[in-house]
Amino acid sequence: MDKRAGCIGYYTDGDALLVAIKAIRAQGIEAFDAYSPFPIHGFEAAANIRRSWIPFVTFAGGLTGLCCGFILQYWTSAVDWPVNVAGKPFNSWPAFVPVMFECTILFAALSSVAAMFIVNRLPNHRNKAFDPALTRDAFALVIEPAIEDARAQAALATTGATGIRSVFVEGWS
Amino acid sequence: MEHNYQLSKERNNILRGLIGLGLLVGALGLIIDPARVWVSVLHNHFYWMSIGIGGLFFAALQWVTGAMWSTSIRRILEAFTAYLPWAIGTLVLVFFGMPDLYIWMHPEHVIGDPLLEGKSGYLSLTFFIIRNLGALVAWIFLARKMVGYSLEQDVTRDYALTLKNRFWTPVFLIVFALTFTASSFDQIMSLDPHWVSTIFGVYCFSGMMVATLAMLSCMTIFLHHTGKLRGFVNANHLHDIGKFLFGFIVFWAYIGFSQFLLIWYTNLPEETTYYIHRFHGAWFYVSLFLLIGKFILPFLYLLPRHRKRNVKSMLIISIYMLIAQWIDVLWMIQPEFYTEGPSLGWIELGITAGFFGLFFHALFSFFSKHNVVAIGDPRLEECLNHHQ
Repeated sequence: MDKRAGCIGYYTDGDALLVAIKAIRAQGIEAFDAYSPFPIHGFEAAANIRRSWIPFVTFAGGLTGLCCGFILQYWTSAVDWPVNVAGKPFNSWPAFVPVMFECTILFAALSSVAAMFIVNRLPNHRNKAFDPALTRDAFALVIEPAIEDARAQAALATTGATGIRSVFVEGWS
Repeated sequence: MEHNYQLSKERNNILRGLIGLGLLVGALGLIIDPARVWVSVLHNHFYWMSIGIGGLFFAALQWVTGAMWSTSIRRILEAFTAYLPWAIGTLVLVFFGMPDLYIWMHPEHVIGDPLLEGKSGYLSLTFFIIRNLGALVAWIFLARKMVGYSLEQDVTRDYALTLKNRFWTPVFLIVFALTFTASSFDQIMSLDPHWVSTIFGVYCFSGMMVATLAMLSCMTIFLHHTGKLRGFVNANHLHDIGKFLFGFIVFWAYIGFSQFLLIWYTNLPEETTYYIHRFHGAWFYVSLFLLIGKFILPFLYLLPRHRKRNVKSMLIISIYMLIAQWIDVLWMIQPEFYTEGPSLGWIELGITAGFFGLFFHALFSFFSKHNVVAIGDPRLEECLNHHQ
């Protein structure tokens, strides 16, 4: 069975899951992921998940949008087709600000969504879910296949999991 | 454990000394240059009064939305209202200075000027006093009521008091919106009675929120430092205050630019005078400071997450924003009197020191009498477990 996707352990609630994560990490296992139908407070700290780099993409996207908004208006109203509006200079930056602002928001938002897709490796239509119940009422911890099955099962058994089994890339055993 | 905070005798004496210094400088200034004293009194009156009422506004926002996260810091906001009775005193000082401050007080300017003649019913001494005094009295009345319920809850822990405040806060918010706009129109916008800007009240409100949140952050950090808030606030509370501060810095810039853009675009002579005065001479650099120093730099500084969660960086930016807002009020008032540039001498600084002493003396006498945390609030438990 070389198509192992890891080893899964089920828990009754979010608090039990947090305890289990701490117990697993105490045994030196860091290659794991946790699944819950809703966000659990304190999960990031317990699982030692670092901050995502998406905010930097958002900032860069916003900055790009700001500049693009300015260049677009500068080029159209001062270079390519200058039109005298109310005797104001062709390059009237205060009039450009609203569109620059909108472009900032647009670029920042779209680049954040794009970055989120990349971070989460979406869209993903090949891999099936481990268990549909994970989106409903089940809490689970999955130890990645880098840890051999026997060790993963033994580790999960010490954490108070209510059910433990191996999972495979196509469905589970 | 005692939950009130007693300022040390030496520090209290420093505050009293500052009040004395302010009075002394004011009295000396009245002999040398009374107009400068009145301008500075108006400037500081509006600035500190805004923080006083801003505290009640933000506390009211917490009651009306049923906010949980802010329960442990709400009392600090309530304490700001302890300054409001003193603001009546400083408002009376403004009344004495009115002949030096407001050009519409002088019939020789009003008669023959169709615009001012038309406004003379509204801009008259009696009506001015009624409006501004009435607003402050209404604020103090509602502050006593709502803060009173909150203090009562420290003892009784009665949830009905939360419900009472939930009833009174919308009343206050409506009264506040109307009276604060009127106060800013009266006290600052009417310095140039020919000029009107319908967004002016919102502009003053946005600055008020920046100052209030910066003061809230300073006092939270200070009281936490003294140990009185230990166990009641964590980095998540500071983070939320920082997010609000960040948001209102952007809101201030948005409102300030909205006011500027429409006047610049329309280019009507009666409207552009306001900005012509403020782009003239040294005032241009003050205007530039407001754009860069009150928006762009604090925006970039507060953007990273860790700055809003760090005590030191929050303290730095809060003190800085309090000073920036003080300069903003200066920028709204002084160009009407000093056309070439700001007047910042011993008179202005001395009077500001006096107001500083008065505000913090009122604040700390509140803290010495009352708990610094709303310990009886049923929402406190939820607040103490505040997560992201």
